[in-house]
Amino acid sequence: MKSFLENTWKHRAHVIMALPAFLILFFIMYVPMAGLVMAFKNFDFSKGIWGSPWCGFNNFKFLLASKNTFFTMTRNTLLYYLLFTALGTFLNVVLAIAIDQFLFKRLAKTMQTIMIIPVFISYAAVQFIVYAFISTDTGIINNTMGANIRFYSTASWWPLILTIVKMWKDVGYGSVLYMSVLAGIDTELYEAAQIDGANKWKQIIHITIPALIPMITVMLLLSVGNVMRSDTGLFYQVTRNSGTLYSTTQVIDSYVLNAIFKNSNFGFTSATSFFQSIVGLLMMLFANGVVRKVSPDDALF
Amino acid sequence: MSKRKGNAADLAPSKKEKKGIGQYILGFFLFLYTLFCGLPILLVFIAAFSDEKAITQNGFSFFPEKWSLAGINSVLRYGSQLLTSYGVTIFVTVFGTFLGLLVMSMFAYSISRKDFRLSKFLSIYLLIPMLFNGGQLSGYVIFTSYYHLKDSLWLLILPLCVTTMNVIILRTYIANSIPNELMEAAKIDGAGEYRTFFQITLPLLKPSLAAVGFMMATAYWNDWQNALLYITTDRKKPLQLLLINIQKSIEFLLNNANVPASARAAMGGNIPQYSSTMATVLIVIGPIMIVYPFFQKYFVKGLTVGSVKG
Repeated sequence: MKSFLENTWKHRAHVIMALPAFLILFFIMYVPMAGLVMAFKNFDFSKGIWGSPWCGFNNFKFLLASKNTFFTMTRNTLLYYLLFTALGTFLNVVLAIAIDQFLFKRLAKTMQTIMIIPVFISYAAVQFIVYAFISTDTGIINNTMGANIRFYSTASWWPLILTIVKMWKDVGYGSVLYMSVLAGIDTELYEAAQIDGANKWKQIIHITIPALIPMITVMLLLSVGNVMRSDTGLFYQVTRNSGTLYSTTQVIDSYVLNAIFKNSNFGFTSATSFFQSIVGLLMMLFANGVVRKVSPDDALF
Repeated sequence: MSKRKGNAADLAPSKKEKKGIGQYILGFFLFLYTLFCGLPILLVFIAAFSDEKAITQNGFSFFPEKWSLAGINSVLRYGSQLLTSYGVTIFVTVFGTFLGLLVMSMFAYSISRKDFRLSKFLSIYLLIPMLFNGGQLSGYVIFTSYYHLKDSLWLLILPLCVTTMNVIILRTYIANSIPNELMEAAKIDGAGEYRTFFQITLPLLKPSLAAVGFMMATAYWNDWQNALLYITTDRKKPLQLLLINIQKSIEFLLNNANVPASARAAMGGNIPQYSSTMATVLIVIGPIMIVYPFFQKYFVKGLTVGSVKG
């Protein structure tokens, strides 16, 4: 203990340097964690979190009683997570390999620059772009096809629309990470394979993809903790928060955001938040545990 | 990635490999995907310079019947608000990015000191928020009714300021790319801890700072959620919130056919129209698109070196 204190004193400069970030994390991330006790309270704004009376598991009873709302948004959250993660990872890898294999490097770089741009556009702006394509009267899709589809009031279209928008926005950027791995593969491996008579496909399957596996693992692992969280902007902005679409577009995060604005139903919402945080934590621990078994080097902790 | 540009030979494939028909097919698909990514953005440009009537009658189009500057001009009607919002967004972006980079790199530097025993605790402390967090609702309640920061710019700055991922990227860069001997040598030469950090480590950290900084700046520039949750005064509205407000007022007009004509007239120039809305979008996303190509090489490199974890 004494030596620990001595060590800390010797490193007091480092303690001071770490302090600002420590404090910001404390006030922005750690204190709200304590706020999760709201889930077990009958929250009243005027009494504050600590002053509100306890109510045991009452809020969670609401959750289960309101089957539709809760199950729909949980289902949507999970399914979109699975869809976006699976399809996103697949497309990231395919695009990274495609660009890597393309021999006209200058051209590839220019194309890549354009592919990455969408990630830098906020959903508040993306929303207007999507509108230009799918609005009923002025939308490009309805006009070129001579159709009259009312996208903004037809829930069944949205899984497709949201997937396209999400992939449009993120795949170009997501592939950069994988490309950086590909750039690190020793070219001698390919040359050796060529001498052994392996064609391009064989090289990709036996050299390129195995080289990407660790990065894919880490990225999936990192994403698993967010299984209950969504890209709020996608579900809140792009759908214009339209109530008629909720059956396919409402996710936990957008529900909570709405509840905050309506200033209502905090018991239900806090129980949902609690559920969201706990599931996230468990998934993260689980995923990390699995990875630590399979390949310890890629585990996060 | 590190190839020098401006060399005509780069346009041709490298000598060793022949470009077969496969290369052209691959190129074709990549080109299609590039169009898929680029065309929606091009549409923003085109719509911003399209004639309003052409859009209302024929819909949005890549080939508008008539071009017009009216959209861009009418954006100036938002005039002072647009200017204010630009100011707020720029301030938050610049201040937040610099603050974040400073405190995160100091933190990353501290926890990468090998004989610093507290660093183990600090690393865990850093990691926990990635595993577990309080969620939006309790954040909202804490920030507004305990910190009393409603309508404060701090709530646009602090929540995006320190993120676990970015600290890890910086720490990995320090551990892998900055030789420890260098810092030892500085110490032997009599430089204090702070001087070592600011004069040796920080300059060497530049590529990683550029990468992380650019990603942070984009996050700040594009942040709409905190603004929507916390900012109420016009004077403090960032650009993204302005965009959201425009959309809301369009919706209001669409959903309320019975808004009296006099009220419409009173709103006069403020009734947002297609071309002027797109012009606003263009003005909001423009700066990032102009700056981004200059940073591209940094964040590709920064991501490469920092990879994901240490």
